[in-house]
Amino acid sequence: MTEAPYLSIKGISKSFGALQVVRDADIAVGRGEFVSFLGPSGCGKTTILRMVAGFETPSTGSISIDGRDITYLKPSQRNIGMVFQSYALFPNLTVADNIGFGLRVAGVNRAEIASRVEEMLALIKLPQLAERFPWQLSGGQQQRVALARALAPRPTVLLLDEPLSALDAKIRVSLREEIRAIQQDLGITTIFVTHDQEEALSMSDRVMVMNQGRIEQIGTPAEIYNHPSTSFVAGFVGTLSQLDATVTDAAQGAASVGSETIAGLPLPASVRTGDRIRLALRPESLRRDRREGDRTLSARIDSVNFLGAVIRIKLHIGDEQLSLDTFNDPTRTPPAPGDTIEVHFAPETVLALTD
Amino acid sequence: MKRFWAWAAIAFGMLYFILPLVGMTEFSLRMRRGVYSFDAYAKVLADPRFQETFSYSVMMAVFTIIFGVLLVVPTAYWVRLKLPRARPYVEFVTLLPLVIPAIVVVFGYIRLYNTSSWLPLTGSTLGTNILLMLGYATLSLPYMYRAVDTGLRTIDVTTLTEAAQSLGAGWATILGRLILPNVLVAVLSGAFVTLAIVMGEFTMAALLNRPAFGPYMQLLGANRAYEPAALAVIAFGITWACMGLIQLVARLAPKPATPVKD
Repeated sequence: MTEAPYLSIKGISKSFGALQVVRDADIAVGRGEFVSFLGPSGCGKTTILRMVAGFETPSTGSISIDGRDITYLKPSQRNIGMVFQSYALFPNLTVADNIGFGLRVAGVNRAEIASRVEEMLALIKLPQLAERFPWQLSGGQQQRVALARALAPRPTVLLLDEPLSALDAKIRVSLREEIRAIQQDLGITTIFVTHDQEEALSMSDRVMVMNQGRIEQIGTPAEIYNHPSTSFVAGFVGTLSQLDATVTDAAQGAASVGSETIAGLPLPASVRTGDRIRLALRPESLRRDRREGDRTLSARIDSVNFLGAVIRIKLHIGDEQLSLDTFNDPTRTPPAPGDTIEVHFAPETVLALTD
Repeated sequence: MKRFWAWAAIAFGMLYFILPLVGMTEFSLRMRRGVYSFDAYAKVLADPRFQETFSYSVMMAVFTIIFGVLLVVPTAYWVRLKLPRARPYVEFVTLLPLVIPAIVVVFGYIRLYNTSSWLPLTGSTLGTNILLMLGYATLSLPYMYRAVDTGLRTIDVTTLTEAAQSLGAGWATILGRLILPNVLVAVLSGAFVTLAIVMGEFTMAALLNRPAFGPYMQLLGANRAYEPAALAVIAFGITWACMGLIQLVARLAPKPATPVKD
């Protein structure tokens, strides 16, 4: 991001009594960018979102939108749209009245409200439901209406607080695609809070991974997945097998795992011979077929899980556990638990974790 | 056999409650010798004191309900939103009128607000009416607070408030356009209980010397035979009409936004 950030969060911390839930967070979000806050429950991601919305006041630090400091503004003065996990539609108002609520509060005239409501209903593809009440809608429809309601007053920033968590899997996938399409169409700066890594990776321009109130890493989905900067990110995003290893020759990138030695690993410059490190491998990086330049390990199969398109094989090397994902090949018999097989991987796919 | 005993219990219960009412109603119709008539009702309804006391109490009930709603809805809402830990204490305070007799409350009022006090409410008719209304509001507080609090429990107060705030709404808009309509049924049930309390209340009205329906009923009961029974039937009719209204309003009220199945 080269231009000045549109939404700037500088050094914010938040404590509830003695408990510090957000620690010195710095985030810069560009205009029109879609940034996901990803992390386990209680990591502080929702607290940051609520501070941006104005529902919590930071203990330290500042928040600004387009250069304007909003840190101590009331939520009603921020012009920020928010979508909640529980939809939060007003039960006593129809869909049209829910969508037009923000405009009515702002004193917009009736004709303009009606036109904007119509526009929003078309955007969420529910023009036929204008006169229905929330209880007459499905969860997916309610969340679409909540999105339209948040967007109707043309907010500067859109905040999505786990909006898909309460929906079933199929609706979740279709709605996340719709949300992303609408966001790109309107070009609205968006923060999306989720603990679902698939959602974060598939929807976002950038992902911010949080743990215990700290930002662990901010980057594009590919950066986060392929080049995690901490072992927490490596373990939290995607499935990862970690092997304890000892560096046998730092200059050659060689390390031993159990009785086997692997050379040509991309070890960090700070690593010295004799250091204990962990080697991390994604299940899809391991192969049963060898390619040129691959490194090889022998492993015993613990279990074989048939997942349809993919077969997930759990293996162990000494005391270390590994996962291997391979596409299902109907012409080939899958290996059986107890078998010893050779697994291969390109050395550059190994993540050497030192923390 | 099990079903037989269930029906038997229901029949016994109904007889236990209905027989006294039937007896009272039957007695109220026997004013004219030898035939059933509505003479007692006609006499009661034609009595100018009935009209005066009844309309006075209805007016007092209306003001008490308005005051109660203005006091209880924002209080219960605020306690749920900002002071959830204070809920048990607030509930305890709202229950006090059930354990402190009305006579103690009204004597306290008279001592505090008599003509030689710093706020001499009993010194004027308007002031005494205000004092009586505050007394009625106190007596109905346990019912009104519980009704409203139960209503608030059915909606997600915090999230709805935050959703409204993020759309630019202030407190008045949130309370008036969102919270109150969503707890309207609860408010109405509290209001109808308040109406019933005000219409039958004797102690406060008598000791503050106001022309209310309660003292009138007592006066009539002490001096007449058939008219008090007719009055009691009328009072029952009013109560049942109120309960019917609660049911009617409940059907028209907004439903919680629980989604239908996809």
